[in-house]
Amino acid sequence: MTTAASASAVSPSTSVRVPVWAWALLAFAVFALYVVSQENGALLSASAAQMLHELTHDARHALGVPCH
Amino acid sequence: MTRVTLSASPATEVGLSFGSVLRRGVLAGVSAGLAAAVVIWFVVEPVIRRALAIEDVRSMHGGQSAPAGLPAHGGDEPLVSRAVQVVGGAVTAVLVGVAVGVIFAVVFARMRERLPGRGDFGRSMVLATIGFAAVSLLPALKIPSNPPAVGNPETVGQRTMLYAVVLLLGVVVALLVPVLDQRLAARGTVPSTRWAVDVVATVVLVVLVLVLVPGSPDAVPPDVPAGLIWDFRLASLAQLATMWLTLGLVFGLLLERVAAPQRALTSVSA
Repeated sequence: MTTAASASAVSPSTSVRVPVWAWALLAFAVFALYVVSQENGALLSASAAQMLHELTHDARHALGVPCH
Repeated sequence: MTRVTLSASPATEVGLSFGSVLRRGVLAGVSAGLAAAVVIWFVVEPVIRRALAIEDVRSMHGGQSAPAGLPAHGGDEPLVSRAVQVVGGAVTAVLVGVAVGVIFAVVFARMRERLPGRGDFGRSMVLATIGFAAVSLLPALKIPSNPPAVGNPETVGQRTMLYAVVLLLGVVVALLVPVLDQRLAARGTVPSTRWAVDVVATVVLVVLVLVLVPGSPDAVPPDVPAGLIWDFRLASLAQLATMWLTLGLVFGLLLERVAAPQRALTSVSA
């Protein structure tokens, strides 16, 4: 009883339990943002990176990330 | 009677699982990406077409009018046609929306009890505003967006680095100011004073970032009109603002909808 009461006092109903995998998911989302907005050959082969650059070109400009 | 008064408290005081927050983040991210794609289509693309016309003039003159190192955008056979590039841009905007939506959901879940704002809708709008200011507006002020026909390919690495640094510093400011606010609260400072100190601290930190971080090394080529640059930067900010605004609105509305039935249930059971 005491533990239940103290637990509810520590975590108010507005807090959300964030599982550990959520941080891996966040890291993956940041990585996806990098690939879509910045990848220019650091990970992919030159031709694949150039293809990706051309496909994402307009959005990269619109997002304001340095493009070329 | 007690139950009824409890259920009259804001809809936000409802426990949420992380999964339900994440699902709404993805949905809101898709909506934000689609809204951004619409703005790109109708607002950004017309400006890009004006910039590409300048590149075309450069390559027609055999690259003579284009100073060395300026983008003339690859010769006769483009790797990808303009039509595919426009569609690719829209798809990219949606992918970016989903990724930002996922990050938004994780940060929101972690920060929910600490975010100011009325209910989950208010909290969502506050987080979206902070997100726009810290990772979109601040980098755009220091390393402003440029249309095609501007930007020296040789300095793209340096500009990307500066852009990333400003973005990270924006996140640092967004994390530091709440810490300062909590310190002040712990010392018993009255809310109005706390607000004033928070605002001044934010302004000082942002000015420091803008002054201390070096700007873009590029000069705008003489054949690109200033009006075109201005229109493009406004269009780019419109796209980013639309993305964050849609994300905050949809995410907040979806969370309020989760809370509403549970509230109704509580009043019935009472």
